[in-house]
Amino acid sequence: MDALVLCLLLSAYPLGCPGLTPPAQLPQPHNLPPAPGSNGSHRSLSVDLPMALRVFSVDYHHVQAPFEIVLWIMLASLAKLGFHWSGRVPAVVPESCLLIMVGLLVGGVIYGVRHSAPPTLSAEAFFLFLLPPIVLDAGYFLPGRLFFENLGTILWYAVLGTLWNVLGIGVSLYGVCLLAHSSLGDVSLLHCLLFGSLIAAVDPVAVLSVFQEMHVNEQLHILVFGESLLNDAVTVVLYKLFESFLRLPSVSGLDVLLGGCRVVVVGLGGLFVGLFFGLVAALTSRFTSRAQVIAPLFVFLYSYLSYLTSEMLHLSGIMAIVTCAVTMKQYVEANVSERSNTSIQYFLKMWSSVSETLIFIFLGVSTIQDVHMWSWPFVCSTLLLCLVWRATGVLLLTAVVNKLRRNAVTFRDQFIIAYGGLRGAICFSLVFLIDDFPKKRLFITTTIVVILFTVFVQGMTIKPLVELLDVKRKKRALPTVSEEIHSRLIDHLLAGIEDVVGYWGQHYWKDKFEQFNKKYLRRFLIREERQARSSILRVYQELERREQRGDEEAPPLVDPRSNSRPLLPEEMDSIRRILSRNLHNFNKRQTPAYSRHTLHQDATMDRTRKPLHRHQSLGDRYTYNTITHWPQVEDVEFNGSHKLRAGLSRSHTVCSISPRHVLQDTSAPVSTAQTAPADPRSSSATADQVSPQHQTPGGRGPKKQLSFDLESEKK
Amino acid sequence: MGSSSSRLDRVPGAKDLMEETGFSETNILCLYDRFEVLDREERGYLRLEDFEAIQQLAVNPIGDRIIGAFVFPGRETLDFPSFVRVLAHFRPTDTTWSRSGSQPEPANSRTRKLRFAFSLYDQDGDGKISRAELTEMLQAMLGMQVTDEQLQSIVGRAIQEADLDRDGAISFDEFKKSVEKVDIDHKMSTRFLR
Repeated sequence: MDALVLCLLLSAYPLGCPGLTPPAQLPQPHNLPPAPGSNGSHRSLSVDLPMALRVFSVDYHHVQAPFEIVLWIMLASLAKLGFHWSGRVPAVVPESCLLIMVGLLVGGVIYGVRHSAPPTLSAEAFFLFLLPPIVLDAGYFLPGRLFFENLGTILWYAVLGTLWNVLGIGVSLYGVCLLAHSSLGDVSLLHCLLFGSLIAAVDPVAVLSVFQEMHVNEQLHILVFGESLLNDAVTVVLYKLFESFLRLPSVSGLDVLLGGCRVVVVGLGGLFVGLFFGLVAALTSRFTSRAQVIAPLFVFLYSYLSYLTSEMLHLSGIMAIVTCAVTMKQYVEANVSERSNTSIQYFLKMWSSVSETLIFIFLGVSTIQDVHMWSWPFVCSTLLLCLVWRATGVLLLTAVVNKLRRNAVTFRDQFIIAYGGLRGAICFSLVFLIDDFPKKRLFITTTIVVILFTVFVQGMTIKPLVELLDVKRKKRALPTVSEEIHSRLIDHLLAGIEDVVGYWGQHYWKDKFEQFNKKYLRRFLIREERQARSSILRVYQELERREQRGDEEAPPLVDPRSNSRPLLPEEMDSIRRILSRNLHNFNKRQTPAYSRHTLHQDATMDRTRKPLHRHQSLGDRYTYNTITHWPQVEDVEFNGSHKLRAGLSRSHTVCSISPRHVLQDTSAPVSTAQTAPADPRSSSATADQVSPQHQTPGGRGPKKQLSFDLESEKK
Repeated sequence: MGSSSSRLDRVPGAKDLMEETGFSETNILCLYDRFEVLDREERGYLRLEDFEAIQQLAVNPIGDRIIGAFVFPGRETLDFPSFVRVLAHFRPTDTTWSRSGSQPEPANSRTRKLRFAFSLYDQDGDGKISRAELTEMLQAMLGMQVTDEQLQSIVGRAIQEADLDRDGAISFDEFKKSVEKVDIDHKMSTRFLR
């Protein structure tokens, strides 16, 4: 493994990379005097034959660009393989550190062999090619509910926290420059503010790569991660703002005010661009049933398009791509086939992995520079100020936000938030984009030092510190069935109480959105799906199979034997799947935290969940879906008495939906609402519930399923 | 808000209610406004029909049980203090209250909240959640998406997990134990702010 890496390193030496700033051209080997008939301008090695025909020739120039790119990616991937092969190392040293070290090594080798600076990561390549896959992956697997629940806090940290950091670091650095007037006298306030804006930003790539190896509780994870995503808007705007201020002859108050407006415009603009493309992607995926193989492509194309569009309009590309991913996810998952879904998820993981690895390696490589400008006061004070300002910022903001939150952010969480503010490649690229001025080199050096410090020191020590502070770890145990049932009950209860009180609590907006989603968006963006039937069948058969393994007779009624039979994990899984699919999705506690390297099992469970949602649309005309609180009333007859409607809303049919129902009961909508009394009678109806599901519509299956028995529910 | 004290006079027994339930003045006033909105015929008390008129409650799977917590046979009319007392269960928990104090347990303590939830299950009031009651509740929540067999197996599992003394029903203590990992204080609270 190492030998292979070494071979690659050695072969990398004559290569630059076209995506990077090209190194000095190597002197090409001189050609033989051109043989008659051969093309003189064509430089290639050739066997020394006097005749024109070349049996063996190497034409490196022809493939140089893709060849070099592939070799770099190969290097990155093999390095990654190598780390995971040795089990203990990644536990102690986060992967990002290891990759940077490999990068440093490669850079050193290149420098040593070629005696000139190795290629550096160009900002363009980074922003256009390397960053989008990572952010897309993060957005696609974002735990939506958790994110939106904590959105206020996240925005609070992202916007205000970043502002605090930028201004604080910028102004204090200027103070330092004034103090060390001799060496740093020519760094103006604006320069300091510019530097502050790029160094203050927490980097999602670095944060993700370190946090995923720790298992902190979900809330903390989403806070830090969400903040790092959203502060892109603020960072980019401030950066561009200060840059344009630098070019202006003078800065007035109006400019500052306009700058403030620009933050909002950039953020919201990115959001809307993302929304737009997300919805278009969802719509497109609706029609991919005939050409399923290219369905995954649309996900990537539209996301990337949203990113590029917002970059073109100078809006926040990160926000656009994240919004796009979040928007289109549920519709795309419902529309495309399972294999396409798997492809999408795996490709996302793959690309983001490669991207991240490349970024860190190039960070290492680019550190080996010819010209570094070092200044002790500047560098040290930057490091110190970054830490100090972030800590004070987090403390202050949390003190305010805790009054408004129900779940207070504890002191330990605050420490992790402050300490986990890692800087990464975004700062690095931004610093290269600065217009040239005398102290630019100093800025670059300082940025590199800060990045290396945060990634190495903070990245490596955060895990021990977490263990030391005993941050509330993510609960690894899966909830029991009872817990889930009771949690759902309480959610429903609270929603009801809030309705009684007339309070627009958090459930209200969620329900409103779900209603809107159900009524308009899903109808429009999701096609009729045949898969739903098969997934019910599949789950039921699985459950049935398991139970038949344990019991002789199929229906598990009050069975003393069932008490003694231990709960098989697969049984629990299928039960949990059923529960989480059918109960109102208030709480997806099973969703694991985001992980770069693996697709968790639950990702596939999501897929099987979705078709059932859609399947509801078939039965919508008759039932009150408990997924949303909203009745899908289409038949006029339903506007009957309140009591009747109330009775129907809590109706429960025993059988699961199948397309047959749609055809059968057009004349008697009321009758499909069945009430199933408790166990005794149900045993008779359970016998052949499954088999007719896949029968062709039109045939009336066993009539046992449709026991038209509308009882009053009033107790 | 300057004239809040005079507005408070409109509310009968406001001061006692505030003391008993721990609601603030603002909360009491908001709740009274809401009470008046619900009491469309201005009778001074609420009845079953008033609750049923709340649209969202009608489509809540357990809406009828929630209504039943307010208005039930034996208490068909609901005056304002009783209204507030029921809602007091959903105040965010006071962390300062300690068990050993001489004050009676406030309505929004964890145990009281759990009792409220338990009473939603236990419709016949025998202090236990029987299998039938659990099945009914699950049917209400799951609707028509599950077959009866699945339902039975889920109910079986739930009882199996929770029922420690093997009597086939879940008592209040078993219920409490089964949700000990759930953050009830957070889940069963809502901020009564406008």
